[in-house]
Amino acid sequence: MPRDRIDELTDEALLALYAQGDGAAARELAGRLVPRLLGYAGRVLGDRTEAEDVAQEAMLRLWRAAAGWRAGEAQVSTWAYRVVTNLCTDRLRQRGRRGPVGLDDAPEVADGAAGAEAGLIEADRMAALDAALAELPDRQRQALVLRHLEGLSNPEIAEAMDIGVEAVESLTARAKRALTALLAGRRGALGYGEGA
Amino acid sequence: MPDQDEMDGLFAMARARRMEPSPDLMARILADAAAVQRRAVPVVAPLAVRRRGWLAGLAGVFGGFGGLAGVGGAAVAGLVLGFVQPAPVTQVADVLLGVQAVSVDLVPTTETWMTGE
Repeated sequence: MPRDRIDELTDEALLALYAQGDGAAARELAGRLVPRLLGYAGRVLGDRTEAEDVAQEAMLRLWRAAAGWRAGEAQVSTWAYRVVTNLCTDRLRQRGRRGPVGLDDAPEVADGAAGAEAGLIEADRMAALDAALAELPDRQRQALVLRHLEGLSNPEIAEAMDIGVEAVESLTARAKRALTALLAGRRGALGYGEGA
Repeated sequence: MPDQDEMDGLFAMARARRMEPSPDLMARILADAAAVQRRAVPVVAPLAVRRRGWLAGLAGVFGGFGGLAGVGGAAVAGLVLGFVQPAPVTQVADVLLGVQAVSVDLVPTTETWMTGE
């Protein structure tokens, strides 16, 4: 299939093409999903190496599910987020409470056009955000990252986390309140100045 | 405490700083995809065999169409020998079995019709 047409296809159509032996469809689908899954796992686990392992495992399960995928039953990206959620939960249980996120684990900056000072402020803010995220309970952190950093809707989060929509609303509201309170003590790092 | 706008700005900044996958990770993921595709191929093969029909299945029992032709030829030759009963066949039976083989005409001859028997 030509490149100018393949990027117009839905995730589900790409998965069906992959199941029929189309390698280009696999590349396009991986290009769409892996950055999102990696970002989600990275924020939840706070460790890039572990996040890469989780993203690879989630994609492997998707490749294996391709042949038996039933059209319209689930959204491919939501299904993948659900796999990542379960894998992250397993890892968090195995290691117990995780430590704070180090700067080495912070996401790479894609845009280097910002000035040096602005870049430092941004890096400080992201480090403060990551440190505050690390303080949240696991489920609150998962819900908040899916809602505010990955941009999923509440029904999509409910499916990804295997809970009801009301539980999602409750989790994200509590997570946001807790995060705001945690960041209140880091106003200097955030560059907002003291007060309020 | 950060206000709503500051929190929204922080989230927007975090969304923009997406964790980019390394080329090595993408290569591993695509290698997995190719390996799963290769393993899926043998699953299709038995279906193709089943679609060939009963004659191909019968030939398979005899080791292919060549074997099936040989078995068919032997069956026809046996029938011919049974009807014709050539002298060498009865002589071989006399020697090997030590008994007198009796020939029987299974196909009526014109003499049979002429004598009315």
